Amino acid sequence: MKILAVCGFGVGSSMILKMTIQKAMREIGVEGDVINTDISDSTGHNADAVFSSPDFIGDLEKRFKNKDVKLYAIKRYSDLSEVKEKVQDLVDSKK
Amino acid sequence: MAQNIPESHMQIIRSAKNYEEAIRVASKPLLEYDYITEEYVQAMIDSIEEHGPYIVLADDFALPHARPSEAVKETGLSLLTVKEGVDLKGNTVKLFVVLAAKDSSSHNEMLQSLAEFLMDKQNIKDVVACNTVKDIKTILNERWN
Repeated sequence: MKILAVCGFGVGSSMILKMTIQKAMREIGVEGDVINTDISDSTGHNADAVFSSPDFIGDLEKRFKNKDVKLYAIKRYSDLSEVKEKVQDLVDSKK
Repeated sequence: MAQNIPESHMQIIRSAKNYEEAIRVASKPLLEYDYITEEYVQAMIDSIEEHGPYIVLADDFALPHARPSEAVKETGLSLLTVKEGVDLKGNTVKLFVVLAAKDSSSHNEMLQSLAEFLMDKQNIKDVVACNTVKDIKTILNERWN
C-alpha cells in the first residue's frame, strides 16, 4: 500500500501527517510506504491514496480526476484516531 | 536524545490580538538569533491566507512554517504559548511552534520527535499549563525523545 501525505510545501505539516499515518499503519498491522510531498508534486507519484487537509481536497480532486486514487481529508494531522479511521477505510476498500 | 527547543527560543504570553500577532511574537527568537529574516515571517502569515488553517495540526496547536528559502539561514524551532488562546481561522490555538527549515531534510529528525510528542494530546495541555519556560523545557526534556 502506498499513501501520499500532502501539504502546501511538502516539508512541515505533511511530514507530521506522514508520521501519524505510519503510526496508524503500525497499530492496524498493515505494511506500506508513506511519502510526504507538496501539492504540485503530488501527481508525480503513484499511490493508492492521498491524505491531505480539507482545504486542498478540491484541488487534489481535479489533479487526480483520471486516476484510481482514494482521497481522504484530514482535519488534524496529528490526530491518530482520525487518521487511523481513514487508514482502516482504505485497508477495507482493498479487501 | 533528539534535539528539542532551547529555553531562549520559548515565550509565554497571556493573549494576542490575532494569529498574525501571535506568529510575529513566536518568531522573535528566531529573528533575534539570526535563524530567519522578516521575509520568512511574512511568508508564514501569507501561507495561512493562501492555504487555510491546516497548520493547526492538533487541538490548540499550530506549526507555522513556509517553504525552505534563502529567508532561512539556520534550521530551528521556536515556541510560544498564548494562555488565553487566539483564533486561527476558526480554530483556537494556545501553542505555536514555529518551524524554520533551511532545506527539505535537515529538520526531519526534529519533526519526527515533534510528531510523536503531538500524538499525545496531554502533552499539549501540559505545556500550555506551564507558567515558566523552565517548566516547559522540563516537559520537553522528559517527553520529547
